[in-house]
Amino acid sequence: MMNIVTVRSVNDPNKTYQFNDNGEPMRGGIKDVYFSPDKSYVVALFRDKLDENQKERLKRITNYYRPQIQNKEAADYFLEEVFRWPADVVEHRGLTGIIVPTYKGKFFFKQGHETGDLIKGKEKNGKWFAAAKFRNEQFPLRVAKAELGNWLSYFQICVNLVRGVKKMHAMGLAHSDLSYNNVLIDPIEKSACMIDLDGLVVPGLFPAEVIGTAEFIAPEVLATKHLDKADPNRVLPSRLTDLHALPVLIYMFLLHRHPLKGGKVHNLDTEMDDLLSMGKGALFIEHPTDHSNRPKVNRFSKWDLPWSDINKLPYSITGPYLTEMFNRTFIEGLHHPQERPPAESWEQALLKTVDLMQQCTNPSCSEGWYVFDNSTEPKCPFCGTKHKGTLPILDFYYEFSPGVWKPDNSRLMVYNNQYLFNWHVDRNVVRNERLDPKDRVPVGYFTFYEGQWVLVNQKLEHMKDLTVNKDVPVNEMIVLTQGKKILLSTEEGGRLVLITITNEKQS
Amino acid sequence: MRRLPVYFLLDTSGSMYGEPIQALNNALSGMINTLRSDAQALDSLWISIITFDREVKEVVPLTELVQFRLPEITCPQSGPTNTGAALDFVMNKVRQDVIKGSDTQKGDWKPLLFLFTDGKPSDIQLYHEKTAEVRAFDFGAVVGCAAGHLANDAMLKQLTDNVVHLDSADSQTLKTFFKWVSETIEQGNKSQGTGEVSKLPPPPSEITVVI
Repeated sequence: MMNIVTVRSVNDPNKTYQFNDNGEPMRGGIKDVYFSPDKSYVVALFRDKLDENQKERLKRITNYYRPQIQNKEAADYFLEEVFRWPADVVEHRGLTGIIVPTYKGKFFFKQGHETGDLIKGKEKNGKWFAAAKFRNEQFPLRVAKAELGNWLSYFQICVNLVRGVKKMHAMGLAHSDLSYNNVLIDPIEKSACMIDLDGLVVPGLFPAEVIGTAEFIAPEVLATKHLDKADPNRVLPSRLTDLHALPVLIYMFLLHRHPLKGGKVHNLDTEMDDLLSMGKGALFIEHPTDHSNRPKVNRFSKWDLPWSDINKLPYSITGPYLTEMFNRTFIEGLHHPQERPPAESWEQALLKTVDLMQQCTNPSCSEGWYVFDNSTEPKCPFCGTKHKGTLPILDFYYEFSPGVWKPDNSRLMVYNNQYLFNWHVDRNVVRNERLDPKDRVPVGYFTFYEGQWVLVNQKLEHMKDLTVNKDVPVNEMIVLTQGKKILLSTEEGGRLVLITITNEKQS
Repeated sequence: MRRLPVYFLLDTSGSMYGEPIQALNNALSGMINTLRSDAQALDSLWISIITFDREVKEVVPLTELVQFRLPEITCPQSGPTNTGAALDFVMNKVRQDVIKGSDTQKGDWKPLLFLFTDGKPSDIQLYHEKTAEVRAFDFGAVVGCAAGHLANDAMLKQLTDNVVHLDSADSQTLKTFFKWVSETIEQGNKSQGTGEVSKLPPPPSEITVVI
């Protein structure tokens, strides 16, 4: 039965919205959710009456912060892709509601579980993709292979989430309750979206009302949660606690286990033990010297393998850049919030890692991609398949002073049909959501052609083979050989690459 | 991996015969499906179903949600309601099943107990003893559900402060109640070339790029 209810905007009394009150709303934690008749948005009504401060927060999120995103760079990327940002605030029979655009179709399971249709058509809550058991081929209610994507998918997912947090922090906001429950994931189209953004924290103006979701709460918040809210020693969610929750989420999406849930017993009482192991006594399960919290594999559910085995799949499989970031977060920064790296560093570390990825040559490999381990005989850590054939590596250098080139701490692993982009060519081009559309187009590509690796120049006007001092014009190719030096651009910021061919023994 | 053990004690005494037991089966099956479509619940929930009438039966021992199969619950046409015996049984099970924390091993979450009845205990003496035992035990939560006008709320209050009264044991009411139960359980877990030069290899057909 259609029962269309019209509600009025609090921000702009001339604006109205409609929803279909079918008597059976979708029940969220604190809100009842109704669809608009055309299903383009939802009206989410808070079940309890909100106080003035809570209403003011919602008004601010919709009439101040939303336009801020709208009027700045990459507005579409943030509002259409990364965030489901509340659009307006309404009142209905004394209750407050928010208008939120409907989630995109890609965030609903097409198939769901491998067998049965229990979750078919349901939201792709992040938890389905974070936990190990839902990808274990023996688990009866595993998520369908066709829904899981490959390892590379999760890097783009993490990049989206990291950029969302980066944007909030740039606006002076803190998320305060980042968790797999507040994100929707699509590994197929490689997308992620942050939802439930009505509780954002504005320091000094709108304090946190929640301390977060159990597995994501920062140690200092848990360690002081027994203190009164007015106690100066009490720590509440902030930008710095987001910088704990975000890496926990990244670690879980890439490694499908929790970075702090190990074997160390702090207290015989379960709740006390949990509070200590995530709070005051928190210790990284893969701490390089303190092994007291290493997981006991025999205590894990069999469904959690192989991901729960940190000997087989240590965090170092995420590559050198992310390993360092995890160290800074879960070792140095775990109990020193100021040491935690900012969201932007995570973005760059993730993107640089993507440049180190190789396709696994085993077509039935569950992950399909892996990070090059800097060895002369690379192999896939997931299925153990050794890389077949030679593997060219490009190390980037920048001109420190005229004629003096220094390493740029970045590298590109070549695979067949790998592309070269301007962010590789020019050190002034930063790969982020504000990237100019012209820089999103490849400038060259790599391919294995007639028994050798070649780089085809598509757009670079001043590419030069420095080894033989010869220009490589557009639409010509250059063969990649051991020790070759190629100048990609003569412009300021232009990079030089040094070619290393690895895995020669195997070919 | 900590488990969250949940015990359901279900009254299958004579008064449940007919529509109420059908409604209960229907509602339980709905609840299991709801829980099985929740990633959090699937990650930690273990469930046991115990029925009681004249006898106490462990219909399903403590089983991981993913492997849980709900059998049809039946009841005799008449007979007493041995709630006390049921509590005695469940306490023994809880002591056996639930893993306690030790210096070398992480313990389970505190178990949850749901008791559903449409009448009052027939074994009052034992019931009094056992309610005290349940109260003294470290459960995460104990919820008593009294269904229908014959159910005795005051008796349930002895067992727990969390008593829910349902006006009847019809299908819709039970469905709503077990929906609430599943929400309660879930809460505990949260929160490219130009083609001009033919000597060039063909451009890749697929772009794999993370921008």
